[in-house]
Amino acid sequence: MTTHQSNDFVGQRFPRREDQYLLRGEGLYLDDLAEPHNTLHLAFVLSPHAHARILSIDVSEALEVPGVVAVLTGEDFVSLIKPIRPNIEMPTYLYTDRLALALDVVRFVGEQVAVVLAESKYAAHDAIELVQVEYELMPAVVSLEQAISEGSPVVHEHVAGNIAFRGEFASDDFATKHAAGKYRLRERFRHGRVSGSAMEPRGCMAVPIRGEEITFYTSTQIPHIVRTEIAKHVIGCSESALRVVVPEVGGGFGVKAQLYTEELISVALCLKYRRPIKWVQDRREDLLTNTHARDHIYEMEATFDERGVLTSLELELYTNIGAYSSSPFGGTIETTGGARQIVGPYKLPNYAYRCYAVTTNTCASGVYRGVAQPACFMAMEGIMDRIARQLNIDPLEVRLRNIVLPGDMPWVNVLGVRYDTGSYQKCLELARERSGYEDFRRRFPGSRLKDGKYHGIGIGNMVELTGTGAPGWRVRGLQAVSGIDGATIRVEPTGKVSVFVSQANAGQGHFTTFAQIAADHIGVRPEAVTVYEGDTASTPFGTGTFASRSAITGGGAVIQAAEKVSNKIRRLAAHELQVEPNDIVLQDGRARVASDPSRFVDFEKLCLLAYSLGKGALPPTEVYGLEATEYYDPPVVTVANAVHIIEVAIDAIDGRVAIENYYVVHDCGKVINPMIVDGQIHGGIAQGVGEVLMEEIVYDEHGQLINASLLDYLLPTALDVPDLSTLTIDHVETPSIDSLGGFKGVGEGGIIGSVAALTSAIYDALEGIGANVNSVPLRPSHIASLIRAARQSAPDPEATRAKQELTAAH
Amino acid sequence: MELKRVQKVEAPHLRVWEALNDIEILKASIPGCESLERIDDDTLHAAVKIKIGPIAAKFKGVIKFSDLNPPNSYMLAFEGQGGAAGFAKGNARVDLTPEGPNATALSYETSAQVGGKIAQLGSRLIDSAAMKTATEFFENFSRALVKEPVEESGSQPDATQPGISESMASVPVQTPPPSSNRPLLIGIGVVVIAALVWYAFA
Repeated sequence: MTTHQSNDFVGQRFPRREDQYLLRGEGLYLDDLAEPHNTLHLAFVLSPHAHARILSIDVSEALEVPGVVAVLTGEDFVSLIKPIRPNIEMPTYLYTDRLALALDVVRFVGEQVAVVLAESKYAAHDAIELVQVEYELMPAVVSLEQAISEGSPVVHEHVAGNIAFRGEFASDDFATKHAAGKYRLRERFRHGRVSGSAMEPRGCMAVPIRGEEITFYTSTQIPHIVRTEIAKHVIGCSESALRVVVPEVGGGFGVKAQLYTEELISVALCLKYRRPIKWVQDRREDLLTNTHARDHIYEMEATFDERGVLTSLELELYTNIGAYSSSPFGGTIETTGGARQIVGPYKLPNYAYRCYAVTTNTCASGVYRGVAQPACFMAMEGIMDRIARQLNIDPLEVRLRNIVLPGDMPWVNVLGVRYDTGSYQKCLELARERSGYEDFRRRFPGSRLKDGKYHGIGIGNMVELTGTGAPGWRVRGLQAVSGIDGATIRVEPTGKVSVFVSQANAGQGHFTTFAQIAADHIGVRPEAVTVYEGDTASTPFGTGTFASRSAITGGGAVIQAAEKVSNKIRRLAAHELQVEPNDIVLQDGRARVASDPSRFVDFEKLCLLAYSLGKGALPPTEVYGLEATEYYDPPVVTVANAVHIIEVAIDAIDGRVAIENYYVVHDCGKVINPMIVDGQIHGGIAQGVGEVLMEEIVYDEHGQLINASLLDYLLPTALDVPDLSTLTIDHVETPSIDSLGGFKGVGEGGIIGSVAALTSAIYDALEGIGANVNSVPLRPSHIASLIRAARQSAPDPEATRAKQELTAAH
Repeated sequence: MELKRVQKVEAPHLRVWEALNDIEILKASIPGCESLERIDDDTLHAAVKIKIGPIAAKFKGVIKFSDLNPPNSYMLAFEGQGGAAGFAKGNARVDLTPEGPNATALSYETSAQVGGKIAQLGSRLIDSAAMKTATEFFENFSRALVKEPVEESGSQPDATQPGISESMASVPVQTPPPSSNRPLLIGIGVVVIAALVWYAFA
């Protein structure tokens, strides 16, 4: 690192500052914060029923537990917290308000019906066992399929047919063009329901200080939104008297980019009792009440020509949004996301969709890494694979024939979304060459069965819509998601640089990457820069960290603020050195004259002027201070792209999938720190592998969630994710021309690409025996039954050979 | 969940019948059974302590009998509340068939639902816990059959048997007259409570 003298820290493998203290176990997470001596602890009584009327709640026994201060029910909160309503403006959108605590009706297992305040967490948890709630059962609607079927019970009386939102789009003269397609295929893809499990569950602590004020510590990705929403919902809470502080966050993944009832309740009770209030959830609550994700059905019909070029696509999309709209993204985020992002890197000329947000008696769904994109690209790549199969063209070749080419850039897709730059052809060709794809096709020209395993190779060719700006959120109807982010940069009297960003780091390395960016633009080393985030008292307003946005939006704001500060430094230096500001170069903490580098002035000296700490005086045209605050509103979206290619071997007996080879080529524009980009991809792949091969939230037909522990909700471990020796990552850099710094997002690409590619690989391995892989998860039991069914129904030569090989092997 | 199971009891048909009429024997045989209470002809209250993996709770249950076809079969409906641990409910059909001079087949067919914490955390464990409980019940029951000869005429225990009279004193059960089939039903009903709870999601 010492070799870097000039302003080129962006792009370097700069070690993450965070790792120093995190790997030593010195990270301070919410539950590590010291509790004030008089803290009250909360525990919630959760509904055991998916849909029921509350007849009575008896708290008398719970109140007798030593240490219990109060037990509150829904009625107590009517005057404390307004119904939670995400601010969505979309035609046809029906609000499904949620109360802080259920009042008359519970609508999912885990909905909170009472809260205990006690002097210790133990007393609170003992007491919730003694709260007696009498329920009258109502018919529950659990699955998407059930909820949209004729005559299904409804979750909310005012939401007819359980459709809380419907969206539609059709390109010009779609019906005629779709009918004119030469070849045609129909497919139904199903993606199951998952939890974006973070290692650290949620928690929060509200501490009253100085009379009326509250400092609210919460494990969130969106401190500014949380603060505004609490002030809007908690009666009597003043936004300026509420400071939201985010401690170290042990994984967010979107699940913590939500406003939760427990946050509102904690602040409301802090106001009511004027005592510190603390709540930390356990794993069961995490799986029952943190927003779930995915759970989509894609009904698709595609037409294409003899070369495999898509000519039209018709989509009917159903997403299960659970019992209530989550906040601030509401129930439309997955619905519009799946329908609008599915176009991907392809030059689809004619497109029509109808999409539906469907309510059920399950936990609310919300944003989780990739949002709808892992599911919609699983479906779109599935269409590509089926076109290839139908026309007997290589699947990678079909993709090449459909992608947006360099000459098409900037490309505006059929929905009007602008792709400013991209490297779809380059990445696909590089992937074909570097992944062993062609070698695999040579090794397996016919049967995929070898040594008792079915072999397959799959492609996830994707774009990632990142760094969505204000217009991008408005177009999706979201009014409470600003889209902008802010940064304040202050060069301190000693010449060191403080950077305050509106973000909240949840493990992405912001303290390193924003320091790299600021260092380049101010002309200091990153070591001279300290980054502050996750504190509404010191950082400017901003949207927060989710949807692959921080590098673009936070990075853009840092660039803007740094430019403003460095311009002032240049002016002060120019005045000192009696040259023009344009002739000043900032480097290594000094302002030099470009035309005569022997003449320079140290930042420290300029800072003394700026803060009136010496005997010199400011130029008369300048004001005191070396500080600037800027807000950056990024483009509508910035489009990153990637290709994942995965080779799998599937055990012909037990259906277990082994990943033999994994290749990724990724283009997130200008790379700030390749090591961090690699880490984002590794993490995304781990979650994608879990999503396809292991994870699924399971509700039974009565709406009981029957795997609310990590023994039953299987997360991938180090033994399940691809060995790094089988993983190759290449970076292609095609800087954005629309976003500042040329950055594109990278937070979600890993999971999007892996879900699509892994599903495609399993399809590729098994299509020869007649198994149609069109849904995830694909646990060994699913795959084994697909193989069994294929063998029974189609005794084709491949299957017969499989049987013979198996017999020979045993 | 649905479950069908036949358990062979090594005792003559009549002997099993009579033992099942003895609420005290049953109470002692059912693992974790704390009380049995007769509410009316068709209704029984029971309290059973349950532990599945991390969950320990006392289930308070109500059983209602129907479709009596003495002494061959009957139906029952069950609903139990375990407080914060959740709930269990369902129904069952029970049959008793002689299988030779010293053996009786007791078959039960249940359909049940559990909810709350017991379903969320215990679903994976219910299979093995159910097996263990059922085995334990039938071991206890068989032992009781050998140890406690039941009077031919009915289930009213002999006051000279200290164990039984002592436990009788603590449970306000009004055992019905010997000619009634109810005691048998109660007995089997309690067996099925255990089955319902334990076998849910098996």
